Amino acid sequence: MPKAIGLITCNYTTSSKDDVFLGRPVASMPFLGRYRLVDFPLSNMVNAGIRNVGMIMPNNYRSLVDHVGSGKDWNLDRKNGGLFIMPGTAFGTSRTGARFLIRDLVQNREFLTKNHERYVVLSTANFICNVDIRALIAKHEASGAHITVLCKKASCDGNIDVVTFEAEDGRVKSMRQGVKFGEEAFLDYAIIERELLLELLDAFAAVDHLDLFEALNSEYGRFRVMIAEFDGYMKPIFDKASYFQANIDLLDADVLDELTPSGRHILTKAHDNPPAKYEPGAKVSNALVSSGDRIFGSVQSSVLGRNVVVEAGASVRHSVIMQGVVVKAGAQIENAIIDKNNVVPAGTELRGTDGDILYLKKN
Amino acid sequence: MLLAGGQGSRLGVLTSQVAKPAVSFGGKYRIIDFVLSNCANSGISSVGVLTQYRPYLLHNYLGTGEAWNLDERGGGVAILPPYATQTGGSWYAGTADAITQNLGYLEMQDPEYVLILSGDQLYRMDYEDMLATHKANNADLTVAVMPVPWEDAPRFGIMNCREDGSIEEFEEKPKEPKSNLASMGIYIFTADVLFKALREDAEKEGSSHDFGGDIIPTLLAEGKRLYTYQFKAYWRDVGTVASFHEANMELLGSEPAFDLYAQDAPIMSNSSTRPPAFIGPKGSVDDSLVDNGCTILGQVEHSVISADVYVGKNAIVKDSILFPGARVEAGAVVINAIMAERSVVEAGATFGAADEDTVTLGDDAVVKKGDE
Repeated sequence: MPKAIGLITCNYTTSSKDDVFLGRPVASMPFLGRYRLVDFPLSNMVNAGIRNVGMIMPNNYRSLVDHVGSGKDWNLDRKNGGLFIMPGTAFGTSRTGARFLIRDLVQNREFLTKNHERYVVLSTANFICNVDIRALIAKHEASGAHITVLCKKASCDGNIDVVTFEAEDGRVKSMRQGVKFGEEAFLDYAIIERELLLELLDAFAAVDHLDLFEALNSEYGRFRVMIAEFDGYMKPIFDKASYFQANIDLLDADVLDELTPSGRHILTKAHDNPPAKYEPGAKVSNALVSSGDRIFGSVQSSVLGRNVVVEAGASVRHSVIMQGVVVKAGAQIENAIIDKNNVVPAGTELRGTDGDILYLKKN
Repeated sequence: MLLAGGQGSRLGVLTSQVAKPAVSFGGKYRIIDFVLSNCANSGISSVGVLTQYRPYLLHNYLGTGEAWNLDERGGGVAILPPYATQTGGSWYAGTADAITQNLGYLEMQDPEYVLILSGDQLYRMDYEDMLATHKANNADLTVAVMPVPWEDAPRFGIMNCREDGSIEEFEEKPKEPKSNLASMGIYIFTADVLFKALREDAEKEGSSHDFGGDIIPTLLAEGKRLYTYQFKAYWRDVGTVASFHEANMELLGSEPAFDLYAQDAPIMSNSSTRPPAFIGPKGSVDDSLVDNGCTILGQVEHSVISADVYVGKNAIVKDSILFPGARVEAGAVVINAIMAERSVVEAGATFGAADEDTVTLGDDAVVKKGDE
């Protein structure tokens, strides 16, 4: 059992104007058929033995609270500790970049003072990855750092939402928003001593409109903030294209295995769905198929959410279909994201292109 | 009171490690899920589960009963294995004896009516409706019955009834049945009648302490009010490998005999959270059920596939049932077979054949190439 509590800031959206994210917090975005993005930080913390997790909520928290409930599915329905649903200060904020607003942390100071564990694990819900937080804490302790931040060298240019750290020999010198190829992209996972975090919140009280790591920009000489490199599969989710690609990436048994290894499963809300049913004549290849699905038609290179029906003669190619969607007989879907509970009428064609994925909003 | 202590010896290796009610079924369930879901869907919140044979997996699976919404204060699931008292202890000697030994639990619950169930049957029933019949008849005992084909009647306990549904005569496995109404082993007793009957039966020399064999005939002889409750929907007692295989296959097809997808009474289970099933680029699945966590790189046809099953490249699985964690390695062929949990058919090996009896592979067993 690590001596840590978890704190997930779920009240940030993205700078993207893609309507995939309109009206819902990123944290409750459905992902890979049966998950929501918040399942990743929650599971990472729980899998490390953390049983005390606070979630700072966005203003439109209905879907998120509906999903996490009492925290039971993550073993967070505890007598002592467990899951804490906490308010944010800037409701509906859509800042780009940093996601640990000092004001939000100060508002929930009590969560940090009434627990006595040594460390706080900070996270957001924008990064798809399976992190061994137990190992990360061990690394933090071994390095003697004040703060350890989890990073990965960016594989492409231009994500304005991701934070970059400039470092020498793994020690952070400064931070800024936006990341270019080869730079250290911050995965929004950090380990910090609880007492130190409380001190910093007091010290930065006058600049509480800043992000914690932004406020630290003048203090990186004083505090040892060390980078821990992450070497597993990771995908930042900030726009429609990255959301779509992350789903498609997992149409690879090895990547899927890396993201959901045995021993560190990604936990999610349990549903009493029957197994997926493939009817006589169904044609399914290169697909992720969730429980409760019924497939009569054809599905290729696609990810299907729970309780999806693909009727006879219908075809789904290179698409992400969220839960509860019915694709009626003969309908054709290609290069598309179909949001929850849509009924795609018989014979309809919905086609996007590789470069511009079609999006059908939630019904 | 749910009788879940049976070994299910006719299921062979499938029950060598687990009790029959805990045997995997339908890709995502264990057999006991059906009865527990019926209880939950019928508004019953106190369920005593009587266990005896290899109970570890069953106990672990039941937990607090939370998966079936049966984790209630003052009620919920109570796991009732045989226990010792000041005068020693003994195994459950029969269905009635199992309840007799737990009269203490029943008296603590202080019910008006007691529903006796088997943990190894597949059906959907609203017990509330059966209880309404029981009350309307002012009955002491109501036995759920269903019509079976006349040629099968000699295998069942047969109820000969009057027109009002009251029971005139009970015959256990009659050679020349007078009725085709078979007892389903589902009983509602008015509690004080049950308690008295059990206490008297316990003292009786030569009794086999069985509901069908002893309690029902005695109550009939005493002139108690015994009624039937007619059930006409899907019901299966999966006692043998053949009937177990058939019941799984009945979940398939475009109009399955038993519809897992019926919305009004969902079958609940203590399911694990695993990612969606991955069907590989050269994989194919036809006329099958496949649960989460599977990796299907080969061909699956007319089969029931549970969670975390692996079917390798160019492997073929047909007319088969694979329990959680089973592995069919690359190029292996599995036909008309039941593979229990974590069992393996290694690369290139063949297991089962279309025109022979269904073959079974026990938990953790391995079939190597050349073994067949």
